[in-house]
Amino acid sequence: MFYRSKTRVEDFEGAAIPHLADLYRSASFLLRHSSEAQDLVQEVYLEAWKSFHRFESGTNCRAWLFKILFHRLHHLRRRLTKTSKTEAFASPADQDNIRAEPPVPQEIRDDDILLALEKVPVEFREAVLMADVEDFTYKEIGDTLKIPLGTVMSRLSRGRKLLRRELVEVARGYGIGSEGEGTPKGESG
Amino acid sequence: MNVLSFDSKHCERIRGQLDAYLSNELLVETTSEVLKHLETCVACSRELDSRMRVREALRRAASGQLPPEGLREAIHERLRGAQFGNFGGFRATSWALAIAALALVIFAGVASQQSLGVRRGRQLVSSVLALGVSDHLRCAIEGHNYPALANPPDQLRAKLGPDYAGLLQVVEVRLPGFQVLEAHLCSVPGSPRKYVHFITRGRGTILSVILTKRVGEGLPAGRFLVAETSGGVNLYRAHLDEMDVAGFVSKDYFGFVVSDLGQDEVIQIAAGLAPALRNALGGRSEVRRPETRRALSVVTEPAV
Repeated sequence: MFYRSKTRVEDFEGAAIPHLADLYRSASFLLRHSSEAQDLVQEVYLEAWKSFHRFESGTNCRAWLFKILFHRLHHLRRRLTKTSKTEAFASPADQDNIRAEPPVPQEIRDDDILLALEKVPVEFREAVLMADVEDFTYKEIGDTLKIPLGTVMSRLSRGRKLLRRELVEVARGYGIGSEGEGTPKGESG
Repeated sequence: MNVLSFDSKHCERIRGQLDAYLSNELLVETTSEVLKHLETCVACSRELDSRMRVREALRRAASGQLPPEGLREAIHERLRGAQFGNFGGFRATSWALAIAALALVIFAGVASQQSLGVRRGRQLVSSVLALGVSDHLRCAIEGHNYPALANPPDQLRAKLGPDYAGLLQVVEVRLPGFQVLEAHLCSVPGSPRKYVHFITRGRGTILSVILTKRVGEGLPAGRFLVAETSGGVNLYRAHLDEMDVAGFVSKDYFGFVVSDLGQDEVIQIAAGLAPALRNALGGRSEVRRPETRRALSVVTEPAV
């Protein structure tokens, strides 16, 4: 039994450790501090190890780990103070501003886009991260976040628009012009 | 804020599909429609480029967010720790409880057996040591079979007979501070057992050194039963009938030191005496001459 257990933990590490960077990256963008992200990722691996006997070899280990990550993240989030950004976003005025999207800067610095991402409400941020950084499909995102496909698409749409808007605001704060400046208004095909 | 307006609802609908297009989540028909529109609409193509740029910038910036050094090792360590806490889904706590319960049962069984063994052993020790106490009480204390002044050694050796006369010197040498008042062969009324009895005085009291032949009996050697070991001789002790007794075993004899000095003092005296007596008795007992048996047969008649 000891030998079997030893073999299994090696199997687990072989399957799960390659996804450490992805898990930590998502965790670090969804939590405030690196230490929190590290703790979360460690907990994810421990939980995954405990239920590894239920994991079917050959299936998507990365998606399985992300599912555990978001499960724990949502559990953690429920215990934290919720921000009011989501509710503010639902106001008609914000919807109008999003519809009238400003053009993003030509040159996007890493710090700027990360700062902009940080300002996106976490519900939308996690969807954007999963789709645009981690390359999960909409269906995988829905399975992981346990939300319908329509909600996935809605959150992605809103999240991406918010990211672009925040990016423009961040760039504007540094005095960086956008491609829209000087662009003829209402140009279309 | 720089606000763009759209000339047609078609552009607005296409722009609503651009993110899904970039994510390759559109149906084939919708993808074709988007591509067809982008071929002719500069503004939507520019919007697509803008979104691609943001996405690529996000991916590039995020890729720089690497796990800190030590995280992998920390996970590895925690997994190793958990490995020994989780055996095939059966938690270590369960194993620990099961093992602890089993150990408790075994321990309780062993302890019970050991306790039973010790109790029986102590009963056996007491029953053997009671032989010496009985003779001391009957002969020395109640019978007062000793003189106020010590009998001459020659007389004592004569009473002991040739087989035990030599033991007198051993007792005298090994009992410093004690004077041998009397030495003889005796028995307790109602019992066929014979005793070689030295009655001494010292430290303000009477102390007996008593030997008697073993008839198949022995003393258990359990560590809970042996009070002390001296010169390879196990010493046993008991407090019986207000007397403290220390006993030992030689090849053919039981030996006892009995007094009311207290158990510690009596065992200390016995520790100094027992090895020498055992040696003296051992050499003698190996020689089973007819004379010896005759000498012992004399003992059947109490000398006092």
